[in-house]
Amino acid sequence: MTGDQSPKRDAAQGANMGWAALGYLLAGMVFWGFVGWLIDHWFHIRGIATAIGVVLGAALGVYLVVKRFGA
Amino acid sequence: MVGVLADKIPFPPSVGDFYPPDIAGSWITKFTLFVWITVALVIAFFLLAYRSPKLVPTRLQWYAESTYGFVRDGVAKEIIGAEGVRFAPYLTSLFLFVLVNNIWGLIPGVQISPMSHIAFPAALAVLTYLIFNYVGIKRFGFWPYVKQQLIPPGVPWWILPLLIPMEFLSTFILRPLTLSIRLFANIFAGHIILLIFTLGGFVLFASDNFAFKGISLVSWAVAILMTFFELLVAVLQAYVFALLTAVYVQTSLAEDH
Repeated sequence: MTGDQSPKRDAAQGANMGWAALGYLLAGMVFWGFVGWLIDHWFHIRGIATAIGVVLGAALGVYLVVKRFGA
Repeated sequence: MVGVLADKIPFPPSVGDFYPPDIAGSWITKFTLFVWITVALVIAFFLLAYRSPKLVPTRLQWYAESTYGFVRDGVAKEIIGAEGVRFAPYLTSLFLFVLVNNIWGLIPGVQISPMSHIAFPAALAVLTYLIFNYVGIKRFGFWPYVKQQLIPPGVPWWILPLLIPMEFLSTFILRPLTLSIRLFANIFAGHIILLIFTLGGFVLFASDNFAFKGISLVSWAVAILMTFFELLVAVLQAYVFALLTAVYVQTSLAEDH
């Protein structure tokens, strides 16, 4: 972006991005994993929807990190 | 054998060790007492330092100015930008309040930090939560602010229903949770570690076995090492708490991510 960013600011932003990336990954896996778990319970299938939800959530988390912080 | 001989030593440490007896009724505990002492210390520090400010600062004034300068330039301005200066007083107070509270865990005779109870970090996280939402809503209005936080730029519309719940969870629910748990868990774990190595040394020393007696010295040496490590953690966690508060304010104020 702009050229006047000091290294310290970059470091701080980097730390923030690390936390935020972790947050998005967790949020994706927790939320869609939970939705999958609910589906499992409603339809009495054992864990398949939970597994799909967690994987989908992780993928969406990565996508979100790329969209928010990607170059 | 060790367990039998070391009956009088409260080992292993448990959550019960985080509940010292009340001082006067259930509202005045060791924790409330030291939180109030912390508040008094921070206020007294700045009042004394700036009582008669000199152009060439006295020693105390120099300490106060460099603390404030560090947070203003190193946290507020670095993260939020030029308008971050108006958050510098709060961030400085927050940093010092957390720092002094953390350091109580290492002061002989006190040796437990109020921050090892989730209530204190949680209250501070609620403050941070209110502040970053307030400044965002004030700048953009409620719906534009929420929209900006929840809808990432450059994403096709059909994927948004999948992403918005995740954005909501990470920004409005996980942020205050992780902020408070990070501080609480670090201080809690630090206290447990010090208890294990200090009391464990006594348990080993009380044993009949000659070799175990010797190992107790190692245990105490690790306890001393860990005390210095906990000092580092105390400073670092106070810094991280203030830093992340600034980061959240910045993301609320930013035009576009």
